[in-house]
Amino acid sequence: MSQANGARAPGKEVLLADKLRKEYPERVALKNLSFSLKAGRVLGFLGPNGAGKTTSIRILTTMLPPSSGYFEVDGIRSEEPEKIRRKIGVLPEGLGFPKHVTGLEYLVFYGQLFGQTPAEAHAVAQQLLIDTGMKQRGHMLVGTYSHGMRQRLGIARALVNDPHVVFLDEPTLGLDPRGQAELLALIQRVAHERNTGVVLCSHALSEIEGVCDDLVIMNSGEMVASGTVAEVTRGERLHDVFLRLTAETIG
Amino acid sequence: MSAAASQRTPPVWWLMFKREMSELWLGGRGFNLLILFCLLMSLTTWLLATNSELNLTPREEIQFIALQAIMTFGLFLGLVIAAESIAGERERTTLEALLLTPGSRRQIVVGKYLTALSLWPAALLLAIPYMFALEKDTELVWRALAWGAPLGTLLALTFTGIGMIVSLWSNTGRTSLFISLLFYLASLLPAQLPGEFMATPIGLLVQAAGPLEAAKQFLQHTLVSGEPVADNLMFVIIPALVALVVLALLFLYAAPRLQFNGVRGLRRAGTPAREGGQ
Repeated sequence: MSQANGARAPGKEVLLADKLRKEYPERVALKNLSFSLKAGRVLGFLGPNGAGKTTSIRILTTMLPPSSGYFEVDGIRSEEPEKIRRKIGVLPEGLGFPKHVTGLEYLVFYGQLFGQTPAEAHAVAQQLLIDTGMKQRGHMLVGTYSHGMRQRLGIARALVNDPHVVFLDEPTLGLDPRGQAELLALIQRVAHERNTGVVLCSHALSEIEGVCDDLVIMNSGEMVASGTVAEVTRGERLHDVFLRLTAETIG
Repeated sequence: MSAAASQRTPPVWWLMFKREMSELWLGGRGFNLLILFCLLMSLTTWLLATNSELNLTPREEIQFIALQAIMTFGLFLGLVIAAESIAGERERTTLEALLLTPGSRRQIVVGKYLTALSLWPAALLLAIPYMFALEKDTELVWRALAWGAPLGTLLALTFTGIGMIVSLWSNTGRTSLFISLLFYLASLLPAQLPGEFMATPIGLLVQAAGPLEAAKQFLQHTLVSGEPVADNLMFVIIPALVALVVLALLFLYAAPRLQFNGVRGLRRAGTPAREGGQ
């Protein structure tokens, strides 16, 4: 995998959330979310349905404004969403793809939207296709891609601007076990070789446990645990910890 | 591509326009709509050419009816594409990826707007042979087109803009299309008002404010009745103002507020679109 262009010191804090809150007229979707993420680490974002994971991701990716609190990406505060978008890559849950373009054209288009010249965008796209194992498929129409290939293309698109933080919302949903394993390996490579902070939102505890360095567990819009995997689990199985912390909602 | 051109970063609106044009025309939707337009124009032309009751109708009036058909069908095409453009992306969940880029939302909308607008000149070009099929006097056809083309363009700017505004706030392409068509049908309503009312100053204002009706009135007074243009400027100025208001609303107010979900107020508070998967 190609190395990141930006100078990112390993261990540097690339994402900081401080008391993020999101309110709707009839309910509070998110209460006081605070955590941080360092470059080169994978943070697992866990929680049952309705826990506030997607709301959190949407706020952290500037798609929704927080009702209160703030966050920073590589030192840029949430009041400057356009600058933050230059620093992040996102694979939203259930992302759709245009069918009538090739994978290469798709990546070149997004590269140019991030300010790359056509030549730069083409070079970056070619490299990302290699990095995500899609080199042979780059000239095929996206409409012919399998679900797994689309997810890889989605990750490639999320990396097109060499982001400091990548948000992946349920990237392995609907993939077969082999596809899941390959994608998780790719996510680890993204974090370690590009020195990028990765926020991995998932329901699958086993994949979180295997890939993540840090954890945030959400329940009913509240953060109920955070820290390194070892700190959160304290020798217990993640599955048991998760069930205990979210027992009220799941019950 | 030249070396110099490949060193420049194209503006966002141009990138969007290129991508959308490619999807519209290479994807086949644009051609399908134009085929539909040609079928409707063929039917209209055939009816006009074969209806013996129209034999005594002045030639100017035949051209006027043909122009009306071109506008009615041609403007509909742009409206359909505009109504689907953003709401459709929202529905296909491709919009979020666009909004996650630092590109200006206004420029994204400009690219999509210009694409939807591209159907009008194509329809107008295709309509010219139909007008010649109805009239041998080329001077009359060009005179009709000289007024019909700019007026139609003014209306295309308005209706495509209305379609885009509705699309910006709709969650699905179908909803957007339905609401846009309601606007379109509402613009045809003045023609159904009683003749006595239409002759009053308020009636005239109502006609002028409805862009399609105003264009119809202008063409009828100038092309058919031969009245001086200066006497009928109201029927051009007011639609031009309506176009300006629509474009200002679209590009200055609505476009910068483009979001991944549409109007949340239409849903139950607290359950915004596509947030179910938390």
